[in-house]
Amino acid sequence: MFDETPQNTLPGAIKLPGAVYTISVEVNGKACTEEAPAQMTLLQFLRERLFLTGAKEGCGVGECGACTVLLNGRAVDACLVLAVEADQASVRTVEGEARDGELTLLQRAFIEHGAVQCGFCTSGMLLSAQSLLESNPHPNREEIVEAISGNLCRCTGYVQILEAIEAVGEGMEEGG
Amino acid sequence: MIRPFKYSKPRFLREALEALEKENARALAGGSDLLVELREGKSQAEHIVDVKAIPELSCFSIGKDGIIIGGQLTLNELAESKELGQTCPILGDAARTVATPQVRNRATLVGNLCTASPAADLAPPLFVLGAAVVVASKEGEQRIPIQQFFQGPKKNCLQPGQLVLRVEIPPRSTGRGVFMKKSRVRGHDLATINVAGWTNPQAGILRICIGACGPTPVLLTSSDELYQRAVCRDELLDGLATLAQDQIAPIDDLRASAAYRRSLVTVFLGRMVRILFPEEGGWPHV
Repeated sequence: MFDETPQNTLPGAIKLPGAVYTISVEVNGKACTEEAPAQMTLLQFLRERLFLTGAKEGCGVGECGACTVLLNGRAVDACLVLAVEADQASVRTVEGEARDGELTLLQRAFIEHGAVQCGFCTSGMLLSAQSLLESNPHPNREEIVEAISGNLCRCTGYVQILEAIEAVGEGMEEGG
Repeated sequence: MIRPFKYSKPRFLREALEALEKENARALAGGSDLLVELREGKSQAEHIVDVKAIPELSCFSIGKDGIIIGGQLTLNELAESKELGQTCPILGDAARTVATPQVRNRATLVGNLCTASPAADLAPPLFVLGAAVVVASKEGEQRIPIQQFFQGPKKNCLQPGQLVLRVEIPPRSTGRGVFMKKSRVRGHDLATINVAGWTNPQAGILRICIGACGPTPVLLTSSDELYQRAVCRDELLDGLATLAQDQIAPIDDLRASAAYRRSLVTVFLGRMVRILFPEEGGWPHV
């Protein structure tokens, strides 16, 4: 887990110049406090300070959704949020979805439906879909398409992803 | 990599206004435009002033006095507001078409205006609704009609030390509107063109605004007179098409040619007029 990893020992961990700010943020239910310069994005903070590398940097400008995390319950592109803006906020990343080694219904549905190929979009895709299912447990196809419209996938053609989310919405995965 | 800057998140308006007086200070709301500018080196900001803790920017009300939307309101908060959807659906309709769900969870209506893109999706609805932008500085508050707020491509009228507090839309007793947008890829591109229309047939009012067809959104002039004179819907449509072609000034860019934009405008005006005035036979106005 991230809080057991010694700080700044990961090879290639970025060092940014400038004044540092103390950021207290709850990540996947755990409180953590770290220092970061103002220009560090939330994505860099998660990956380089907390070593949570599930959220990916694809485009870095809010087009692809590979860096999607939930900030105070809402899906956001972590590349478009400054780490300092997340001070006192709660963040959910893909690392916090499975509990005690048990995958979520959605994660299992992704595997069962072949919704994962290269995997680069998967972390973000899962969080966009999870956020939809939590506010709307039985979404229709149109609502699912809208919810993941900010997550690009270049492998699957989306069909398997839509089917996986739809299956969870229809309760087909329950108890399975 | 973004170059270093100072960050502050004032809780008092006065503090923010003082900070914004300095050159190279920039206000940060949703950050969906500003962070891209910083990353691409287009902004040389040395001080980022986060305005999300200032109480004066958090207002959102719909009532007898019209609609008031504070600077912190995100596009998804507008799109999800049932009350706004009932009172003035074109704002939510426009908000829903911007970028992606992730961006709309951060991006604000006021930020959309401040970027002052000619293609800003929230601009045409606010132009046809006659909105005003309320700007604060140390000297006090100032109401600026939205048409004056837009000065040119990506140019608003704000001076150093000024901050937009809210947008105000005057009360409308009756009337209906429509928003339409054409983009190459839904969710991943700015508008090729966007159009908003609003009418109050009893008062003989018809307002049309066309975005991405000039340096700023174009609010058609003389559309009221045209509407009051027209004896049937087709005459109104022909008149509006001519009016629009005279007043827009589209350019060729990566999204479309000027010629394509011109023909889109005529097509969209036709669709819009048919939605605003659905009656085929009886001409509804006055």
